[in-house]
Amino acid sequence: MTNETAAPWNPQPGPAEPPSSQSEINLSWFAPFGMIGLSLVNFFYRLITLGIYDFWARTEVRKRLWSAIRLNGEPLVYTGTGKELFLGFLIVFGVVLLPIMLISFGAVFAFGPNSPYVGAVSAAIYVLVFFLFGVGIFRAHRYRLLRTTWRGIRGSLSGDSWKYGLTYFLTMLLIPLTFGWIVPWRTTKLQSMITNNAHFGDQPFSFKGGSGPLYGPFALLWFGVLFVFFGALMMIGAITHMVQTALGPGALEPGFKLPPEIAAYLGFVSLSIVAVGYLLYLFISAWYRSRTINHFAKCTHFDDARFEGRVTGGGLLWIDITNLLIQILGVILMLIPVSIIFALLAAAGLSPPEAGLQSPQPGLANGFLAVFAPISVLILALSFTLLLPVTQARSMGYLIKNLSLNGNVDVDKISQSTAQQMSTGEGLAQAFDIDAF
Amino acid sequence: MHSSTLHQRFEARFSNGQTAGADEVTVELTQTGLVIHLSGGDSVTWPLAKLATAEPLTTHAIDALVTCSETPGATLFVPGPKFARTLAQVAPQLTASEARWRSARPWIWATVALAALAVFIWQADLSPAHFVANLLPDKVRETMGRQVVGSLTERRRVCDANAGRAALDQLTERLSATVSPPRNFHVVVVDWGLVNAFATPGENIVLTRGLLEQATSSDEVAGVLAHEMGHGIELHPETGLVRAMGLSAAAELLMGGSGGTLGNLGVLLVQLSYTRDAEGQADDHALEILSKSKISTKGIANFFERMAKQHRGKGSGGLAGMLSTHPGTQQRLAKILAMEGYSATPALPAAQWQSLKTMCEESS
Repeated sequence: MTNETAAPWNPQPGPAEPPSSQSEINLSWFAPFGMIGLSLVNFFYRLITLGIYDFWARTEVRKRLWSAIRLNGEPLVYTGTGKELFLGFLIVFGVVLLPIMLISFGAVFAFGPNSPYVGAVSAAIYVLVFFLFGVGIFRAHRYRLLRTTWRGIRGSLSGDSWKYGLTYFLTMLLIPLTFGWIVPWRTTKLQSMITNNAHFGDQPFSFKGGSGPLYGPFALLWFGVLFVFFGALMMIGAITHMVQTALGPGALEPGFKLPPEIAAYLGFVSLSIVAVGYLLYLFISAWYRSRTINHFAKCTHFDDARFEGRVTGGGLLWIDITNLLIQILGVILMLIPVSIIFALLAAAGLSPPEAGLQSPQPGLANGFLAVFAPISVLILALSFTLLLPVTQARSMGYLIKNLSLNGNVDVDKISQSTAQQMSTGEGLAQAFDIDAF
Repeated sequence: MHSSTLHQRFEARFSNGQTAGADEVTVELTQTGLVIHLSGGDSVTWPLAKLATAEPLTTHAIDALVTCSETPGATLFVPGPKFARTLAQVAPQLTASEARWRSARPWIWATVALAALAVFIWQADLSPAHFVANLLPDKVRETMGRQVVGSLTERRRVCDANAGRAALDQLTERLSATVSPPRNFHVVVVDWGLVNAFATPGENIVLTRGLLEQATSSDEVAGVLAHEMGHGIELHPETGLVRAMGLSAAAELLMGGSGGTLGNLGVLLVQLSYTRDAEGQADDHALEILSKSKISTKGIANFFERMAKQHRGKGSGGLAGMLSTHPGTQQRLAKILAMEGYSATPALPAAQWQSLKTMCEESS
């Protein structure tokens, strides 16, 4: 991983700074073992704690993932705790989610379900949620950086999360107005707001560069999507027309009914064209995403070094598709025991699961069903996240393996910044991860 | 065992937490602590009980990064799996399984307590939903009722022919005059072929055209109304809605989303079915109302018997569900028939009964 050829340009080291402390940082990924086992154990614990263990489960996964990232062979350390995530969730629940729920319930009660006022209230809630979404992203970054250390030195994120939230929200409104053309500028702006506020110890990261280099790839994405969309439409239209002309002059009349086998064939062909078009779209967007990641890496500087990304569209697409398959596998794994139990219940002559809403009726069997129905809902809801630790490790691994830090960093110069820890203590919610929503 | 690796020296890197630099050191594990031999010749001992590792120790560990609460910020990185395994043996609190159990234990107890509470509520026949329904102010119950009636009548015509309306009001008045404390029942007839009747919150009752057409006498309609009034007096519709809303709100919370639970009050009510106890309570009220207003109970008995025959095995909610899903229909009929013993008059005079029966046809 070390880049031997990139001869570092060293501006005449002063006598106080021995050149030996200037060194390259080797960024590498030690793939974590046992993530499937961890997935299963976490799932079991989440189940027997009614989902509450989730915060601790996520924390253990993060500890494993962070430890897999190595700088010169030494791991990054995640120092966050499940309790912090849990308290953060409680605060967000009490301050944001609960009032939103109460207001929307109250609006329905006050105005009736189909009133225009209810629509206005939900629109206002959507605006608020999208604004808070940006704030949440910034604060989640801050929490993670504050809880990340290497050799005991903490990361941190200064700056104003409300400003970030406002930028996030206002530029999002501009996306439809500019037909999407603000997207490269927007993502660059948002990324630079985070990078320029990030520190490791007392050393800042900096973002040098603009969104210019992204506009070429974006134009290709934009026109590519347009081309794929209209291309698919035209192909379907042309084939339909060809079939109709082949059937004779009567087939072009408005009232004509296609023979069923030909209609089925046309349906199959159209579906195949749509599927191929969608795959093309996925590939183009993955390719654009890879260009964005590599560009952001190149713009990110630390001390005398800068990052370099070698992420490819094909690589990202492969990770995405295989991760999706892995998550579906998790759902199937959980569907099997649940459906076996339901089949047994059905065989015992009991009512189907829709009976869950009815008032519990006497009898042990119905009691069992009343208990099992909500549990199975819980199992299936959680099953989408069963193998999440595996997929997260794969995504992160791919990224780290295709990222390097080129140039020199003087690690002895980096010192713990206690002042920073004070200045970011704006309140409890600040320190807590609020990506819970 | 680990005795062979105790006191064995391992190469390690020590960072003091002031800068990101690191020193080469050697470390050894003893029964009480982790001894760090610094390059200058000094040594520091970290007590085992105060150690923490970057990630919980597992059998897969390839190295260990250790910190100590006595020296905040300082870290010790020991490469190789051997040290990590020895550490897991002398300080088992650092293993993944112990750490998981430590953080999950309080929540497991909370789950057990919750399950015990649920079993207790179920066994002791307590109904938290009924308790909540009793606390609802009349205004809220009226609003709930308006919405339920609204969603039941949303795509259906409300029958309001004058003569039929007057006859219905007369019958409702005759029945509700016997209820104490007085309740202001309001009955709505919808143009709906289904044979059914629903008690809805806030003393509202919905009758269907199908039910009026099926009924062979005004006594039958009076009986059904009295039965639904019984549900209303006992706040059964309110209780059912509170329970269903509570369940779906809980489900929504679990899923972490917010959906349109409240938009579908009517749908919920149609899906609700009352327990046999609740039906018995409504019957008791019906018999009391009928006897006090001097209307024969034969009407309701006939009606129930006919419906039970027609709807055996089908029907989901409301009156039809009550008749089909509960096996006690015969006992209930016997109870109703045993009630006679007072001089009864027809619930409505023949002319008014005719107006009521045809009120959906006559309205324009």
